[in-house]
Amino acid sequence: MKEHTTRPEWLKPELLFRVFGTAFFVYLFFGFMLIPCLNTLTQIFTTKGADGRIDPFAVIRFFFAGSMPKFIWNSLKLAICLVITVNVVGISIVLLTEYFDIKGAKILRLGYMTTLIYSGVALVTGYLFLYDSNGILTSWLAQKFPQVDHNWFSGFKAVLFTMTFACTSNHMLFLRNAIRTIDYNTVEAARNLGAKPFKVLMKVVFPTLLPTLFSLTVMTFITGLCAMSAPTLLGYNSINPEIVRLAGSSVADEAFPQARAALLSVILALFTILLLTVLSSYEHKGHYLSVSKTKAKLVKQKIHNPVANVFAHIYAYVLFIIYATPVVMIILFAFQNYPAIRSKTLSLDQFTLINFFGTQDYEFMTNRGKLKIRPNSISGVFSNADTVGGIRLSFVLSAIAAALACVIVVVAVNYIFKNKSKKRSTILEYSLLFPWLLPTILICYSYRTFFNADNIWYVGNVNLYLRENVRFLIIVAYTVVKLPFALRMIKAAFYAIDEELEDAARNLGASPLVSFLRIKLPIILPSVLAVFALNFNSLFTEYDMSATFHSSYGKTYAMVMQSMTMEEGRDGYNVNASGRRCASTVFIMVVSGLILYLVYGVGARDLGERLQAKERRKHRREKWVTRLRRN
Amino acid sequence: MIELENIVVKFGDFVALHNINVKVKEGEFFTFLGPSGCGKTTTLRTITGFVEPVEGTVKVKGVDITNMPIEKRNIGIVFQSYALFPSMTVRNNIAFGLKIQKLSKHEINQRVEAIAKKVDLDEELLDRAVSQLSGGQQQRVAIARALVTEPSIICMDEPLSNLDAKLRVQLRNELKKMQRDFGITTIYVTHDQEEALTLSDRIAVFNKGNIEQIGTPNEIYNRSASAFVCNFIGDINHLDKQIVKDIGLDTNKHHHIRLERLRINTEQNDDNELQIIGIVQSREYYGLYIKYTIQSGDSTLKAVEKNDGINLLDVGEQVTIGIHKKDIMSYDINDNLEEVDA
Repeated sequence: MKEHTTRPEWLKPELLFRVFGTAFFVYLFFGFMLIPCLNTLTQIFTTKGADGRIDPFAVIRFFFAGSMPKFIWNSLKLAICLVITVNVVGISIVLLTEYFDIKGAKILRLGYMTTLIYSGVALVTGYLFLYDSNGILTSWLAQKFPQVDHNWFSGFKAVLFTMTFACTSNHMLFLRNAIRTIDYNTVEAARNLGAKPFKVLMKVVFPTLLPTLFSLTVMTFITGLCAMSAPTLLGYNSINPEIVRLAGSSVADEAFPQARAALLSVILALFTILLLTVLSSYEHKGHYLSVSKTKAKLVKQKIHNPVANVFAHIYAYVLFIIYATPVVMIILFAFQNYPAIRSKTLSLDQFTLINFFGTQDYEFMTNRGKLKIRPNSISGVFSNADTVGGIRLSFVLSAIAAALACVIVVVAVNYIFKNKSKKRSTILEYSLLFPWLLPTILICYSYRTFFNADNIWYVGNVNLYLRENVRFLIIVAYTVVKLPFALRMIKAAFYAIDEELEDAARNLGASPLVSFLRIKLPIILPSVLAVFALNFNSLFTEYDMSATFHSSYGKTYAMVMQSMTMEEGRDGYNVNASGRRCASTVFIMVVSGLILYLVYGVGARDLGERLQAKERRKHRREKWVTRLRRN
Repeated sequence: MIELENIVVKFGDFVALHNINVKVKEGEFFTFLGPSGCGKTTTLRTITGFVEPVEGTVKVKGVDITNMPIEKRNIGIVFQSYALFPSMTVRNNIAFGLKIQKLSKHEINQRVEAIAKKVDLDEELLDRAVSQLSGGQQQRVAIARALVTEPSIICMDEPLSNLDAKLRVQLRNELKKMQRDFGITTIYVTHDQEEALTLSDRIAVFNKGNIEQIGTPNEIYNRSASAFVCNFIGDINHLDKQIVKDIGLDTNKHHHIRLERLRINTEQNDDNELQIIGIVQSREYYGLYIKYTIQSGDSTLKAVEKNDGINLLDVGEQVTIGIHKKDIMSYDINDNLEEVDA
């Protein structure tokens, strides 16, 4: 629409916005996505041999001659096994809580959902607390069966076990949602046509879940391939920990470590791209769409065979115990003092808040029988300088990055929707989805190596890996990595906006900016806040990126927690690291739980529900006031 | 009041409107009627400024507004979905346009309450969220929001299509009354013939981006200008060649007759009426009237009779059908009778 204004063409806000917007997105895409990653790629082919000459295939030769395929095979083995175990457990927990009539399903669901409030390094440390050489279960087993190997919980089986239960969160979110939207009339129709319950499950229910299951399978495979915290903490030689190790190594220690790290990152990226292409082509094929005009709510199916019913109940509760025990133990031991944690005994007498607040002197007897005191060496999460520092840093970095990702994506998606069929909007969308194709480790590794120089002109010739600058680098990495997720979610929110709303606002005299701020933004705000909260949640305890950037100036909360699992010693300053670790995990659970409640509980309410809640509060207040007056 | 002159609208290579010419008089209730995808909403959106024509002009009171920004046209719209802002209360929805105009709080409140009264919205509803209202109440809010800024024209894009049948009839009458009370020029878009016939002063019937006929409801119904209009407005019987021959009409044309024009079991009026014998094949009961399907030789004819509760015809009963020449609408053979999917 041509506007009748006297302002020069080049000063029009739309044009200025387009110029600055284009410049920003070009800078972001080339400067912080493409160029650093291409630099990583070139590292592989610019390795210098012993004679100082560039040997483009040195790393490739080394790859085939050395032990590098072992890391890839280990990652592949983990990914393949995870796909099987996660799907078996994930499908089981969803069917047991949503499809079959199992007694106590609500409590079971709570147990199965615990992985939503603690994951990554927090979850692994939780499992370690139970199963490692000094863990509760291991100690108990050792008492009963002295021949038990104290280090049984390590390596591949420990990683597989931990990740199997950690990775079912997506099943609980997405598969559960898919099964709840099944039209029950289709189940009834199949039963009416003579199909037995198992046949109905296999022929009617499962086919509608296949698209979700396929996506979950691909996501699980990628998670397995890119696993970081579990292999690092449980000791398993997979690709990601090796990349981090090589990135921190020097030429003096081993042959071209950086180029080898780059090669592993690129191999990981190739696998990811391949899998996402498969997923994308599958999604394009189309799915079974429900044609029901009026869907009937799914009714839980009774298991009529008594043996199968008993077996299902036992299976459900065994899984519940596996899920819930680490959480319960961590919560209980978070309120126990150091000796109780050390001896793995629970007692009300040993109840303390020292793992959270305050400091205490530590008294111990030396080998020579001398009593020594370490002042303030027992400290709580919020009294320990290191831990508080980690929390503060993670809080600030995560909040900034989560907010940045939301702002960038909201602006971009608004533009994309306004220019739907134009090429430039497609280019913008794909450039924001680009980080999705690359493993997080490749992006972070690329940043670490590329920006660890003071000759990158477009960042002002500043070494971004140096000292405090690394925090800026972490923020950029966090933001870039979270862009694809934010884009998918916020784009979905934009789809929900009735296009006529903006037309109506324009018709009532609002400018494009006013109609965006006053009409569109309030509608998408709950989704934007949800994306912010979810991104913040995952970044707050994020481990993979912090480990890659590994720097004393960028010691995030997850890194502090990792050090807690390693530093505990009888006579050291971190004597109650286990207690603090438990308290940290409890703190993370509280933060995550609160965020999930705000997002899915309060945030999901529309204006009508909010006004109703306000009305109820008003009534309650009036009731109290009346009662008080009467008294 | 509103003049559309030679309007052409294209979406890429697709021509959505071919040379549209319409003149709407001041205070008139003018309806754009047609099946889905015929161009009626596109024409409305061209008037409101959401669609830019590649050719032609839009004039309001003689002023060319073709290139005028949407917000400056002073045309109110009631959208099909109502487009009520879900993040605002009813009051804030109605007040939105006034706030944009930067009126004082006092004046905004006064005008919001006044318009709410006029459209029969209870004051207690004003502080509710729009999601808490019924369909009918939401429609009133949409109308109030469109009228509160005192536009010179109001455009309504199928505003009754989201409502159930009974409420639709009720609100249809209220809509007409409101339009008369406000005396505002109204452009109304619908695919519902009954709605168009009952509400409008004049109707433009659209087909494939063209206007087939503009006229009063009576003209459109009884003197349909094309086979398409004839078929689209109400039910018709397509007379077969034998009947056409017997009645002495041109066999090189299409001939149609409305259902209610067939006279069942009546005396022959004059020589211009053909009487044929038929057997009742089926009977459909509609309450006010009864629709019969009658087989006469190779012809199947439909007829309606007022339901008097006494003279019901039974299936299998023999009847005489009277077809009068003056009731027949004839169209050129090239004027294809199209199946209408409204």
